[in-house]
Amino acid sequence: MTLAFSLPPPTDSPLSRLDPRWKLAALSIAAAVTATLQTLSVAVAACAGALFLAVLARLPGRWFLQRLGAASLFVALFALPLPWMLLDDGMSWSLGCLRVSRHGVQVALLLAVKAIALLTMFLTLQATAPLETNLKAAHALRIPSLFVQLGLLSYRYIFVLADELRRLRIALRVRGYRRGMNRHNYRTAGHVAGTLLVRGYERAERVGQAMRCRGFNGQFRSLKKFSTRPVDVLVFVLVAASAAALLVWDRYLELTP
Amino acid sequence: MSFEIAIQARDLTFAYPGGAPALSGVSFDVAAGESVGLVGPNGAGKTSLFLCLSGVLQARGGALSVGGLDPRDPSQRRHLPSQVGIVFQNSDDQLFNATVFDDVAFGPLNLELPPHEVRQRVDEALARVGLTGMEERVPFHLSGGEKRRVALAGVLAMRPSILLLDEPSMYLDPRGRRELIRLLHSLGGTRMIASHDLELILQTCQRVLLLDGGRSIADGPAQTVLADATLMEAHGLEVPYRLRGAAR
Ligand SMILES: Nc1ncnc2c1ncn2[C@@H]1O[C@H](COP(=O)(O)OP(=O)(O)OP(=O)(O)O)[C@@H](O)[C@H]1O
Ligand SMILES: [Mg+2]
Repeated sequence: MTLAFSLPPPTDSPLSRLDPRWKLAALSIAAAVTATLQTLSVAVAACAGALFLAVLARLPGRWFLQRLGAASLFVALFALPLPWMLLDDGMSWSLGCLRVSRHGVQVALLLAVKAIALLTMFLTLQATAPLETNLKAAHALRIPSLFVQLGLLSYRYIFVLADELRRLRIALRVRGYRRGMNRHNYRTAGHVAGTLLVRGYERAERVGQAMRCRGFNGQFRSLKKFSTRPVDVLVFVLVAASAAALLVWDRYLELTP
Repeated sequence: MSFEIAIQARDLTFAYPGGAPALSGVSFDVAAGESVGLVGPNGAGKTSLFLCLSGVLQARGGALSVGGLDPRDPSQRRHLPSQVGIVFQNSDDQLFNATVFDDVAFGPLNLELPPHEVRQRVDEALARVGLTGMEERVPFHLSGGEKRRVALAGVLAMRPSILLLDEPSMYLDPRGRRELIRLLHSLGGTRMIASHDLELILQTCQRVLLLDGGRSIADGPAQTVLADATLMEAHGLEVPYRLRGAAR
């Protein structure tokens, strides 16, 4: 379960050598722009850009495709019904007794392409620097320390909760529990979910206490020193300018149908 | 300063919300540099006592002073972390950073030490617990014993004058346990060690405090208290192996 969140083995690449702050800033701008795109052709261009960055980052192919595959299933859940649901007066095709609207297909494709682009950017960020480096970069970019800590702790809790769940499942199995579809199973699943929640809460409280015992007062401190080279700025400007160009193109296409 | 007292507790009382008292009327003194073992059956209140001493829980009644500070006073509590280091019973509660290095550096950074001093303290603390070279590992992918050592290193790096160790030998293999005992001998300062590992207590503490049902039952030299077979049995403990011959 935690495998989905584990990081790939660090690879040396042009992107991983960049100053994490500039890289984070560039990818955040690119992601924000991608999220607001309204036209399919521009979204496809953004996705191509994201994939280009992924190539520059030398993302391990299997690692990337596995995550993309898992996310696609999730996106498909939302995107697939759209062609049937978004029926308007525009063009449509009939498939047997079903009517599929052109508008719906476009919205579904836009959603899917944007999701792939955003995930690619996120995975590129994840693969080119350890999580704590990215969080420290976020902190250096003046993201409030509350959010930085939230990021750090959420990441940590994924493992803790997965571990608790694993322990609970073992506890159930050694007492002869079998999965099934009856009343007893549903009740057990309910209890397990409840226990997990309570344990998670208590654990969170104790971690907070342990942090205070080590002098934590809400301030995020770090030894990481970042240094900027011209190439960092150049990459940032290139990515930001491309994002701006895509944004202008998108607005233009939208206003002149 | 005259006879220095590191921990002074008078008539400490604590109850969890809606529960029976976890501590009732516990009193004791610990002199600076003394090493005191805290023993008692499950649910005796050992962990609760440590949490009161470190200011996590608010004990009621009596007087409490730890390293000259009152953990119940919010303004004094802020200075407690540089004085008192507590290693929790469960290491998972204590480790939350993405690398071992960051976790051990967490305390020194909070003390606002200069970067080179932070690095030096982290290196030294990791060396003391035998984890040199593990700096970049992810703490939550370590074994139970390794986690325990990281947690201990994180506290040692703060160089507290008082150490509270809750079940320090849990999860350690025999060699790790031997090294822990050696480490405890090499550390100066005041220590309280709560443990069911009575052999460890016997080897590291001159004095023992026996708790049961939140009350202080006995307080005396480790060799005497732990050798008292009737007392030990009455409180769910047993005389450590190496004292058995002596009692007869
Ligand atoms: N969070 C809590 N909420 C309510 N009651 C608690 C809580 N933690 C402990 N207790 C109760 O307080 C009492 C003392 O518990 P404590 O954890 O201090 O015992 P302990 O001596 O550390 O035991 P062990 O040897 O098992 O670690 C027990 O009766 C326990 O049930
Ligand atoms: Mg305990």
